[in-house]
Amino acid sequence: MLSIDKYAYSSKLAGIDPMQKLFFTFITLGVCLWANDWVISLLVIFIAVGAAVIKGGIPIRIFAKMLLIPMVFLVIGVLSIAINASSSAEFFLISVQVAGTAIGITSSGAINAFNLFIKAIGSVSCLYFLSLTTPITDLLDAMRRLKVPRLFTELMGLIYRFIFVLLERSGTMFTAQSSRLGYSTLSTGYRSLAALASTLFIDAYRRSDELYTSLEARGYEGELRVLPRSYNKSRAGYICTAVLNILLICTALALRHL
Amino acid sequence: MGQSILEARDVNYIYSDGTHALNGITMAIEKGKTTAVLGGNGAGKSTLFLCFNGILKPRTGSILFDKSPIDYSRKGMKELRSHVGIVFQDPDSQLFSASVYQDISFGPLNMKLPQEEVAARVKTAMERTGILHLKDKPTHSLSFGQKKRAAIAGVLAMSPQVLVLDEPTAGLDPSGVSEIMKLLKEAQRDLGISVVIATHDIDIVPLYCDYTYVMDQGSLVAEGTPHNVFSQKEELRKVNLRLPRIGHLMEILSKKDGFRFSENALTISQARRAIKALWESGDARKER
Repeated sequence: MLSIDKYAYSSKLAGIDPMQKLFFTFITLGVCLWANDWVISLLVIFIAVGAAVIKGGIPIRIFAKMLLIPMVFLVIGVLSIAINASSSAEFFLISVQVAGTAIGITSSGAINAFNLFIKAIGSVSCLYFLSLTTPITDLLDAMRRLKVPRLFTELMGLIYRFIFVLLERSGTMFTAQSSRLGYSTLSTGYRSLAALASTLFIDAYRRSDELYTSLEARGYEGELRVLPRSYNKSRAGYICTAVLNILLICTALALRHL
Repeated sequence: MGQSILEARDVNYIYSDGTHALNGITMAIEKGKTTAVLGGNGAGKSTLFLCFNGILKPRTGSILFDKSPIDYSRKGMKELRSHVGIVFQDPDSQLFSASVYQDISFGPLNMKLPQEEVAARVKTAMERTGILHLKDKPTHSLSFGQKKRAAIAGVLAMSPQVLVLDEPTAGLDPSGVSEIMKLLKEAQRDLGISVVIATHDIDIVPLYCDYTYVMDQGSLVAEGTPHNVFSQKEELRKVNLRLPRIGHLMEILSKKDGFRFSENALTISQARRAIKALWESGDARKER
């Protein structure tokens, strides 16, 4: 998670209006889901990876690594669709007999599973494009402009900010504990972890108090008003998204009539 | 003493757990000057500062801003907080936004200024604190010193008349300390603001401060120019404070080794002058 954050801030697309990136992500994602065709899904993967790697300057290795994260769930899910059971073995491509029932993979099951697999990877790639090129602060800006309820954006912003503060605190405490052999055995480990968690909670509570005081000192009246960041004026993102997706839709329609 | 911008008159404050944090404090912060509030841990400095900004209301006594008692209504608080800014000790508890730029824009936006004005103020404050290059950086990637600067910028952007800082040099390395103090001095010179700092970093007091108050357990125990205050050595030691290192050295030299300095030196340059004067008069050589 921390490295995603780092890449998002250093990405070449970090200065682009997050609206354009949101537009790209969700339109392409929508087309990928609507088309429900492995060719389109494959194209979407290429487009999303290409955009992140070539336009965003994200190392392809990182993108590939991130795609491995959902793979376990995906493989399990896809297998359960691919594998069917039946009383006769005639429809199966490969099957085994277990207690008079044939369990195996049919051709339609295999195609379904493959389609779903590629479609899921395509959708995930779109979201990864967004998270690898858009800092959370920009995303919050975009959400404010989209009139997402203030409570939601403010909470999200505070949580995001304090993840790092508390992470640093817990890191320091963990080091201090381990330097005194706090994690040398399993039982002391559990005890130390409990102490760390409770101290962290108290620390977080104290911090929230201090934060409130300091916000009040700067004239807080129940609303965390901030100035939106100014972005690159270029609208190329919208145009690119529109052109690419019209091409994708046309291809999808053409494939259906074949 | 010149014109005072902020005043505490016989201020008492008691926390809900019964701690008597402030005990009849009377204090005047002079306009355009740097005032130090010295005191060990738990002396009541932070409580006093929260009273200056209207966050805490004294149980008895009053706080005066620009000669008139502060108004605790919503409108009055808004007004006061745009004039008296506080920079807290831990920047991680002050910076609420993951974007440095947006955090700094918070204060001026609360003052209901137009966006262009806010943007200009944020830029000026960032330039003044030397963090303009960190504009698009996330807060969590900043060093402690940079966060401290961002916290100061967030208050400077509100263009306060009084800047109150709680332990501005705590946790900074030596060059960080002198950079922050220089930055504050420059801001004071250019903007004519009054600066109040709470500190137990005694060595910076004779270098940067014009007037000093010493607090202990909620009471005022000494006040005066740094020179005055640091000549009351016994009072200082009683409240767990000490002389500046140079002052201590000069004290030992004159008490134990019989050097007869013409002035009570507290800083390196003052000590240098005193030692040179003594050398030139020939007294030091005669002693040997």
